[in-house]
Amino acid sequence: MLEVLTLFLFNIVIYSIPLLYATCGEIMVEKSGSLNLGVEGTMAVGAIFGFLAGCKADSLPVAVLVSFITAALVGAIFCIFTITLQANQNVTGLTITTIGVAVYFFVGNGLGANWPVYRECTRLVSGFADIEIPGLSAIPVIGKAFFSHNILVYFAVIVAVLIWLYFEKTSIGLRLRAIGENPGAADSLGVDLVKYKYLHIMAGSGIMGIGGLYMGLNMGGTFEGSNCWINGYGWIAIALVIFANWSTTHAIVGTFVFGFFNTLRVYNMPIATTFPNTFGWLSKVPAQVFSALPFAVTLLVLIVNSVRSRKTNKSNAPTAIGVNYYREDR
Amino acid sequence: MAASEYAIELKGISKSFGPVVANKNINLNLKKGEILALLGENGSGKTTLMNMLSGIYTPDSGSIFIDGKKVVISSPDDAGKLGIGMVHQHFKLVERFTAADNIWIGKKGSGFLLKKDRNKEIEEIASKFGFEIDPTKIVANMSVSEKQTLEIIKVLCYGAKVIILDEPTAVLTVQETKKLFDVCRKMKESGHSIIIITHKLNEVMEISDRVAVLRKGEYIDTVESATTTKMKLTELMVGRKMNLNIERSVIEKTEPLLEVRDLCVESDEGALAVDNMNFYIRGGEILGVAGIAGSGQKELCEAIAGLRKIKSGKIIHKGRNLVGMNAKKIAAQGIAMSFIPEDRLGMGLAPSLSVADNVILKDYTNDKGLFVDRKRARDEAKKIVDMLQIATPSVDTPVRRLSGGNVQKVLLGREIKSDPNVLITAYPVRGLDIHSSYMIYDILNEQKTKGVGVLFIGEDIDVMMALCDKIMVMCHGKLQGVVHASKVKKEELGLMMTGALDLTNVKVDKPAGIASDSAFTAEEWEEAADMSEGAES
Amino acid sequence: MRLKIIRRKETKLVNKILLYVIGIAISFVVGGIFLTSLDINPFAYYRDMLTIGLIGNYYPGKSVEGLLKLFVPLLITSLALSLAFKMRFWNIGGEGEFITGALFAAIVAFKLGDTLPGFVVIVLMCLAAFVSAGMIGLVTAHLKVKFNTNETLVTLMINYIMLYVIKYFGETKADWNFFLRTDSERPVFAKFPENAIMDGIKFGNFKLLYTVPAAIVIAVIVYFYLKRTKQGYEISVVGDSVNTAKYAGMNVYRITLRTIFLSAAFIGLAGAFTAAASGTISTDITNNVGWTGVIVAWLSRLSVPVIGVVSLLISVLQYGCQAASASYSQIDHNFADLMQGLFMFSILAAGFFSNFKIVRTGDKKDA
Repeated sequence: MLEVLTLFLFNIVIYSIPLLYATCGEIMVEKSGSLNLGVEGTMAVGAIFGFLAGCKADSLPVAVLVSFITAALVGAIFCIFTITLQANQNVTGLTITTIGVAVYFFVGNGLGANWPVYRECTRLVSGFADIEIPGLSAIPVIGKAFFSHNILVYFAVIVAVLIWLYFEKTSIGLRLRAIGENPGAADSLGVDLVKYKYLHIMAGSGIMGIGGLYMGLNMGGTFEGSNCWINGYGWIAIALVIFANWSTTHAIVGTFVFGFFNTLRVYNMPIATTFPNTFGWLSKVPAQVFSALPFAVTLLVLIVNSVRSRKTNKSNAPTAIGVNYYREDR
Repeated sequence: MAASEYAIELKGISKSFGPVVANKNINLNLKKGEILALLGENGSGKTTLMNMLSGIYTPDSGSIFIDGKKVVISSPDDAGKLGIGMVHQHFKLVERFTAADNIWIGKKGSGFLLKKDRNKEIEEIASKFGFEIDPTKIVANMSVSEKQTLEIIKVLCYGAKVIILDEPTAVLTVQETKKLFDVCRKMKESGHSIIIITHKLNEVMEISDRVAVLRKGEYIDTVESATTTKMKLTELMVGRKMNLNIERSVIEKTEPLLEVRDLCVESDEGALAVDNMNFYIRGGEILGVAGIAGSGQKELCEAIAGLRKIKSGKIIHKGRNLVGMNAKKIAAQGIAMSFIPEDRLGMGLAPSLSVADNVILKDYTNDKGLFVDRKRARDEAKKIVDMLQIATPSVDTPVRRLSGGNVQKVLLGREIKSDPNVLITAYPVRGLDIHSSYMIYDILNEQKTKGVGVLFIGEDIDVMMALCDKIMVMCHGKLQGVVHASKVKKEELGLMMTGALDLTNVKVDKPAGIASDSAFTAEEWEEAADMSEGAES
Repeated sequence: MRLKIIRRKETKLVNKILLYVIGIAISFVVGGIFLTSLDINPFAYYRDMLTIGLIGNYYPGKSVEGLLKLFVPLLITSLALSLAFKMRFWNIGGEGEFITGALFAAIVAFKLGDTLPGFVVIVLMCLAAFVSAGMIGLVTAHLKVKFNTNETLVTLMINYIMLYVIKYFGETKADWNFFLRTDSERPVFAKFPENAIMDGIKFGNFKLLYTVPAAIVIAVIVYFYLKRTKQGYEISVVGDSVNTAKYAGMNVYRITLRTIFLSAAFIGLAGAFTAAASGTISTDITNNVGWTGVIVAWLSRLSVPVIGVVSLLISVLQYGCQAASASYSQIDHNFADLMQGLFMFSILAAGFFSNFKIVRTGDKKDA
């Protein structure tokens, strides 16, 4: 019985981690005042190139680095168009998703039979293997569920906390938030807006790319012509940013909730059979309902938030989000 | 080489925005430790010029010298390094941050980590310059004057030697202005050089050592404040001797057209923006509304025009209660409202649509069938363009492409076209040059002679005292009194605007704002009140 | 030396066109580099793509039919989206609205297809799709106007919810599930009854489905609706300035609801057209038209005639890539998305350079 619970919790973590990367990345982008709808495409690019490079070098660090860099380059494209060329952010983001996913299929199909076999990249596989944290992993139930994961899981949580510290406790973070709130004010104080936005959007995109890589590795690195690894997670991340109220530490909790739904989709049967009296009904819920739940819940949060914030403005949404800044506009 | 006498010298500066030339070949200098007033009408290029000093814009041509050395200022960062700080008219503050954090954003050498004791550090720096602030106060909760103080502390903190103040008094009360000027004098004593942008002559005479005058983007002259006169300055500013008097025709007034009683209106935030107002307008008079920006003028206008829910009270127009009617129905009664917001375009005009399409905004529903009658629209637009001499390539040009004065003429023209009997106009000359302003005053006077009751919400007290028949003063949504424009003193108005003087209950037998020959008797008012309550429920 | 962006005073039409032509040419070159990297001769590929497999085809009519099947939904969706965009309302829920329309059309087809005459069934299918998808628009618009709920994200979520709804019907074997074939073990969407399948006019081998003229009529109607009617006028005023619209006494709530209802409803109609034309539905029935439509509407700057041209070109691109992928195994239809993205970027860039120019400013800065 406890094993089922442990396995269940374990899998929630597995499913929520790519979302955590993507959400943290998007929060970083949005804090600088830009809304990037290209998360899905950015993750796809980071995923495929990171994976291929990782297999080639047979090394996880290389995979992570390359996924970060390639996704950051996609972020740079977003920057060039929305910051330098003043293009509409929604359209640019959608185009990035279109083109990013297309590049994913282009590369995958192009390689065809040359697609590397993940199993044979032994060092990459072992790099991605679960690591038990001494001591903590011995705690019953929780130990196995939370402290016996691959290194990218721990890294994600560290990244989330570091980003939070970065925003709240450093001067650069303060300036970045100022840009997202009132770019005119930050600009007049000599903050180099263009540099700040470029760097943070690229960094945020890079983090999304690591999330994409994680998904690829988690699926055993097999390329399917019909389904992209990312499979809508990029869009969930955009939803999660709202759910987490633009805080990366809240995002840890938020992604866990979303991972919970996803895990229910796959593990509803074991839960139902182990706890027939309390959770027996789970077996009757169709998988599609669990798939749709994250989106439905976000929809609900969106609506509830907006109805509530009409009275008390509690949202942490950056004030200037989605609006391009051109200094000489008048 | 001896240090230069001048803190800043501008030589041959030019700047244009698209087809609009904002600055043409400007030469200007600022002595060390002086207060220089930069005088010019709205649109004469003062702010543009200063924005080039502060690095917001870069000049198309010309050069800038600081302490006698040629420099290039291509970003606010450069300006900061050169010791130039600017307090913008629209404050550049992050509303959600605290006072201290707002200063911290631009602080050099603030280190990677945010210091825990930064609040104390900021407080200390502020007190060194003689200011007291609460570093943890959130900017959104500050008053306008507090925000301005914060802006000044900000530039001082960054070590600015030259401080530019862009129309600092526009949002201040008379008393707050005095305080600001004291601060300026103190900064001057401590060796700072100051440029104050303004178009108010009194202030120029009071505070400045020298006055530099711009006109239509060109540099005219710099004179010593002590040896000049207001008349002389006006001449420099406007370009020719100008009769500053506005013709105030006296005509037969009718009985009250629009009566407002016990009106309460809430702001967007839910605060009481109009608090128990009483007033009335007769046909053939201009009633001015004076008050500090944000005293409830906007909400009052919107309430009368039916754009804002009325919390309680009555608005009686020719004996009919307007409360509860929608905007369209109120407009059909002959009440026209034109409101020029700060960005000029936000309310009343659709900037991307053509002049013709904007002219039919209020009566397109009268066209027959499903379609908009564009021929009628063009004809009427042409009429308005001819009548008010609006400069536009054609009536199909988007309003956005017109200059400020012409935009305002389109708006006013449309309102007059509807032949109103009550015309509410808020800030109609906002941002206009003197010629255009006078043209607008003439239009308003013409309406008045036709027997229209005009409610004029203005910014410039001098203009209101000359143009209006009566002036009512609002402070924090409350009526402070209604006075005859020809009898009142400017100082009195200033005190009323700040709430220091209340003239509502001076005459025992006649409370302010209630007409003695009201369209209703006291009982009928009560009845009207009951009626409308019944209608609401 | 520093670079600086300056707004252009004016750009000649010739120069503008030139910029766009250069942009598109660059897209083709970049696409060519991609192709060459797979050892595909770009010229041969582009020729195959742009001729949509007409050359050497025994039944050229079939190619045109296939092309039109892509063109009709894309045209209607892009037009519908432009209604919303004109009002600065970011309806990116094309996918979800399309699926909703198709689903409700399918319900009518399965339930009434056998009992009613063909013409009536088709009309009812369209009506069901129109209203059901329109409801999504109504709800989103209501939330936006009343609570300022972010419509981009709401419609985005609805896209995925609807995707899983159609997947649910498509993947669940059950007695009540009339969407599926009864004679198959695996869950497969059933074929519509004969009466519920869209017919057309025959020209020899080529059949022109009624949806094609219908789509063109819709385009003409939308054109006049936006340009000439009072409601179209109201859309442009609300889109330009909500405050001004309120000030003019317009009922912004009603106008927004009406417009977004229409926007979503027409996309639903496109879904019904697609379902009726193919005689069945599938989980990927949208063919990403909700996303592509956003790009088409934006590329066309919301001008109806341009939307017509651009959606035809994008359809050629998509169908051409499908057709060409038959002869190139290394590449699939997703290459069309790649090209589409490249076009979008080059058009965005061209748009920028026709409004701004980049100049060098200043001398060397004093140290």
